[in-house]
Amino acid sequence: MTDTRRAGLMLIAPATLFILVGFLLPVGVLLSGAFRTDAGWSLGNFVEFFTTPLYLDVFFRTFRLGLTVTAVAAVLGYITAIAITETSPSWRGRLVALLVLPLMISPVARTYAWLVILGRTGFLNTALQTVGLTDEPLRILFTETAVFIGLIQLFFPLMVLPLLSSLENLPRDVIPAGRVLGASWFAIFWRVILPLTREGLVVGGTLTFVGSLTAYVTPAILGGSKVLMLETLLYQRVSVANDYASAGVIAVILIAMSIATNFLLKRIATTRRAAR
Amino acid sequence: MKLAGHLFLAAVMLFLIGPFVIICFAGLSAGESLAFPPEGLSLRWVIRVFEIESFRSSFALSLALGIGATLFALILGIPAAYALARYDVPGGEAIRNVLTAPIIVPGIIVGLALLRHLVIPSGLGVRLALFLAHSALLIPYAVRVVSASLENLRPDIEEAAILLGTSRIGAFLRVTLPNIRNGIMAAFIIGFITSFNEVPASLFLTGPGVATLPVDMLLYMEFNFDPSIAALSGLLALMSLTVVLVAERLLGLSHYV
Repeated sequence: MTDTRRAGLMLIAPATLFILVGFLLPVGVLLSGAFRTDAGWSLGNFVEFFTTPLYLDVFFRTFRLGLTVTAVAAVLGYITAIAITETSPSWRGRLVALLVLPLMISPVARTYAWLVILGRTGFLNTALQTVGLTDEPLRILFTETAVFIGLIQLFFPLMVLPLLSSLENLPRDVIPAGRVLGASWFAIFWRVILPLTREGLVVGGTLTFVGSLTAYVTPAILGGSKVLMLETLLYQRVSVANDYASAGVIAVILIAMSIATNFLLKRIATTRRAAR
Repeated sequence: MKLAGHLFLAAVMLFLIGPFVIICFAGLSAGESLAFPPEGLSLRWVIRVFEIESFRSSFALSLALGIGATLFALILGIPAAYALARYDVPGGEAIRNVLTAPIIVPGIIVGLALLRHLVIPSGLGVRLALFLAHSALLIPYAVRVVSASLENLRPDIEEAAILLGTSRIGAFLRVTLPNIRNGIMAAFIIGFITSFNEVPASLFLTGPGVATLPVDMLLYMEFNFDPSIAALSGLLALMSLTVVLVAERLLGLSHYV
């Protein structure tokens, strides 16, 4: 081994060992626990989890919310990103700053605001009743709708920012060219913009999807124990019932999803480089 | 078309930023319970936030944790990023994957794993466990941001310094480090904000009287419905705004996010 290789290893060893021993080892032990029951190695915990109706509900709800949040954020995100590219450069800077700013603020603070807005005596209900649209307060808080609204607000910037950067790399003339050739706005979006900005959509989509699946604060505050998602279920199973078997299964599901989507991202990033 | 676009943008920004305005006003309420529009304006709940003992101690813990864990992550991360950028390290790609692994693992799993397989078996204090968890979560950011700065710095200026008679360490300290200073500052700010706002990993790592500020807020709001959390949320939003504005002015933080 040459001197520079040894020096490189010496520099990199502390961080690597720290993560291996202090992080990956405990996480690995926790995950392996999901595959063990009193009878030794088995898939019993998974069978148990996927045959309990309540857990299945939570499982499907988590994916349903993740998918709808991602789909709605993608549609609104495209409109927003396209509208931003059509503003003047100075406005573009300000709008991007307004998109980045919420990302820096505590998710607890961001989510708590919706409690003030959506609650029984909250801003929305007061406004609706004053205008006379409803007689009784609407029940929004502690429903899937409330969690959906909270998640959209939390992850919308993470969808728009990658879309915006891939739209800005679009060749300048493709949209006017399409218009001149007589294509409708819909055809231009579907056949020109979408294929050319697919990368931004994939990045924004995975950030939003994985973020929604693994969100804790939003479902905890806006959904409570009525609208459990996988993370809030995990917390509840451990803190209320010391049920480490279910917790282990949820951990395996969450981490498998997270690794799969990150792997997909990496694949797309490398095929892009190869294509160039 | 143009007008429709502008109206749509205004609606989106209202949706993103409006809740912060609402929560600031709700926190300035003079009334007893959480409401918007507030029942009169006063600073009573803002003052109340500073009187609540648990908020004071959890704020101190979060602040110390944010600074300590970020510094530790940088102390481990800077040499690692340097080695990855400048040396031909055996198994470099695998090591890079290990170093960025904490970003892929959902926080709540980190908290539970450390609680069950580190804190309980070894009798480690909760504060130390929080420090370990946050440091591990921040190392990927430290490595990534510092790597990006190193890639923008030509390696030959270091070689030049060595040819002129400095040692390798001297060249790093006197040539490389000053040139990547902005990247390190950016990594520090991003790391601090990430740690300060972190919830899921810290959730299980709490003990009697020991909780980070956001976790303490979650615990408080379970039993209280007064405007103090709104006031505190408003204060935190203002704090983040100040940090980001100052950082943007000094370093152009947005290049690193």
